[in-house]
Amino acid sequence: MRGLLPVGTVALIFGVGSFYTAPSAGPGLFTWINLGGGALALLLAAASALRGRSDASPASRRLLVRSLLWVLVALIVAMGAEQLGRRSGWQLDATAERRYSLAPATRAALEALPAPVEAILFLDRLDTRARSSRLLLQTLAGSGVVTVRESDLDESADQAERFGVVSSNTVVLVRGNRFETVERPTEGSLFEALQHLGRSAERRVYVARGAGEGDLVRSDDVGYSGLAAALQTESYSLHDWVTAAASEVPADADAVLFVAPRRGLRQPVLAALERYLQGGGRLVALLEPGTHTGLEELLERWGFGLADAVVVDPASGPVEGDPAGVNPIVFSYAEHPAVAGLNASRMTFFLRARPVDGVRKPRPEDDLRTLAFASRRSWLAPNVEAVQRGLAPERPEDAEENYWPLLAVGRYPRGDREARIAVFGDSDFASNRYLRAVYNLDLLMNTLHWVTEREPAITLRPKALTVDQFPLTVQDSLSMFYGVGLVVPELCLIAAALLWARRRIG
Amino acid sequence: MRPWLALLRKELAVAFGSPMAWLTLAGVGLVTALIFFDHLRIYNQILFLYATTTMGGFETDTVPTYVNLRDQVFLPVMETLALTLVGLVPLVTMRVFAEERSRGTDELLATTLLTPTQIVAGKFAATYLLVALMLALSFIYPASSVVRAGLGMPHLMVVYLGLFALGIALASIGLVCSAFSTHQLVAAVSAYAVAFVLYDFRWTAQFLPDTVAAWIDPLSLHPRFGSFAEGMVRGGDLLYFAGYVLVGFALARFALIQARVR
Repeated sequence: MRGLLPVGTVALIFGVGSFYTAPSAGPGLFTWINLGGGALALLLAAASALRGRSDASPASRRLLVRSLLWVLVALIVAMGAEQLGRRSGWQLDATAERRYSLAPATRAALEALPAPVEAILFLDRLDTRARSSRLLLQTLAGSGVVTVRESDLDESADQAERFGVVSSNTVVLVRGNRFETVERPTEGSLFEALQHLGRSAERRVYVARGAGEGDLVRSDDVGYSGLAAALQTESYSLHDWVTAAASEVPADADAVLFVAPRRGLRQPVLAALERYLQGGGRLVALLEPGTHTGLEELLERWGFGLADAVVVDPASGPVEGDPAGVNPIVFSYAEHPAVAGLNASRMTFFLRARPVDGVRKPRPEDDLRTLAFASRRSWLAPNVEAVQRGLAPERPEDAEENYWPLLAVGRYPRGDREARIAVFGDSDFASNRYLRAVYNLDLLMNTLHWVTEREPAITLRPKALTVDQFPLTVQDSLSMFYGVGLVVPELCLIAAALLWARRRIG
Repeated sequence: MRPWLALLRKELAVAFGSPMAWLTLAGVGLVTALIFFDHLRIYNQILFLYATTTMGGFETDTVPTYVNLRDQVFLPVMETLALTLVGLVPLVTMRVFAEERSRGTDELLATTLLTPTQIVAGKFAATYLLVALMLALSFIYPASSVVRAGLGMPHLMVVYLGLFALGIALASIGLVCSAFSTHQLVAAVSAYAVAFVLYDFRWTAQFLPDTVAAWIDPLSLHPRFGSFAEGMVRGGDLLYFAGYVLVGFALARFALIQARVR
């Protein structure tokens, strides 16, 4: 009769399985036979077991019941502990790039959401890439603002079509009747989607054009389309300010942005900028060395010192194939909201930059600060044109070694308003090639947030993951295989053979 | 404590005194080496193809980001290693209780000063040590990819913590099956059956209602190991695997007492 236990269990499993396999057809004869027969077999097995128990002594039965109770207790403790562990949300991210630890920007974006967001992960059940996305979404869900659900791509074709989902491992973030679709999600792409969903009132930024400035539409390495996208992600609307025809800064401008002007600006434009700033305007300028646009004089009137030279930082060594020191890596920052969070381990990277100093406050109540510095041994090379062409910088005999600043900002109370200006001694650091290198994007965006008085938006953004694509040649792989790969199994097999031989020989 | 340690020593001596343990270890080393180097070979071929100008749609020397050591070599090897454990661990556990019972030496053990709890603890500890040794042997190859792939030692340690947790969960299943069996073959086959059923319930989502699938899915072994493979240690997952040890221990103890009462 003891054999009835496994027979009944198997029959019950198959009965339940067939019940669920074709729910629309309803339970058939096979299902009922399995369920009924299985239950009967289990009942008979239980009855047999009880009869058998009665043969045992009361002490034995007590011992057996006690140990069975321990099994139940262990089961309850195990389930309870697992539930507690899961609900506690405790987790440790051991990935080298902290793949599942949210950046401050993502946490801020989640907190800023006006309403809860539903994240739907569309996947093919056998898609192993979705595991990483699932973990990332579960980390987001830990915030309490995001609820996560999964949807099989095949079973929910209508829903997938509605959201424009075409491939597995795609996340759709839904807030009310708005949604954002993210393919192959990373924290960075999810952050941008959250920003779009929770977008606050936009600030209007006028981008100066007409004097050879960098192109915010161009998408190759030297273009600035990445900067434009980052600005739009963080609630800035971009508008052209064509300086060739302008005589006033538009009245609705929240800020004016100059990205590497090359040619001289017309006098009426400079006058318009002066009036705009005197009226409490906001200006961000990314200036290259070796250019003279007229903006330099205007900025000098507002207290900035813009020597026409290249900062050479011996601590930075040769970077990107340029002579040593001309591309300074910055790891010294002042205490200021615009550089909050940046420190010696959160560096920024400039290319052939000019110094930007704060030399003289126009009025005592003004506040002029330098924020980002090359290292203590840096000096200024006057042969700007040669350095731009890739030649080595010339060190003057009287070169002054100093923490030369590369970014300065100023606040200027004017009546009931306050003008704010930020000047960077470089524009290449914001180009598509370098914007997302180290913390360049954070430095630029946070400075812009400070200039436009959006200090709460200042944060550190998720970093793009870098993957290692280092090749091992086939020859290397085979050498490793024959050299190391076979040694361990061989030693174990020798041990097994020796034991076998010893047993045989006795 | 001493009798328990004596039992542990005896179990280890029995395990390593038989060719089966060494053959299992050799199997782990060989399978890991073959899987690892085969993935490495394929990865190198893909890299080579992308790096040549003959591939259309990509610029020369431009390789898609998904072709990298982490995704193409490290993670698949760890996944396969986890599946290999399902195949190998029952070979280690099948003899632990069943052999004693079939030879009648369990009665000899029952006459010693050892309590059922101590006997089960000794056998469980010896088996877990063997599982740990199996994993230590497989550590060499992924460690070399860590050096190259920049994954970081903490990630690798977490993956091996996950493999060890999976290994002891599978060992607990195997030991319970062995404790309820008289024949080693029955113990091994039943351990395979239970381990394969519990390994992954994703296939049930095809025909089970969502609510039932959502309830059953967290019981699977594989998704729990998946978090470790991705470099995450989660409290819930650790306690899930610890639960296998606890329940397995209690069930094996019950089986031992049941056999004594009979």
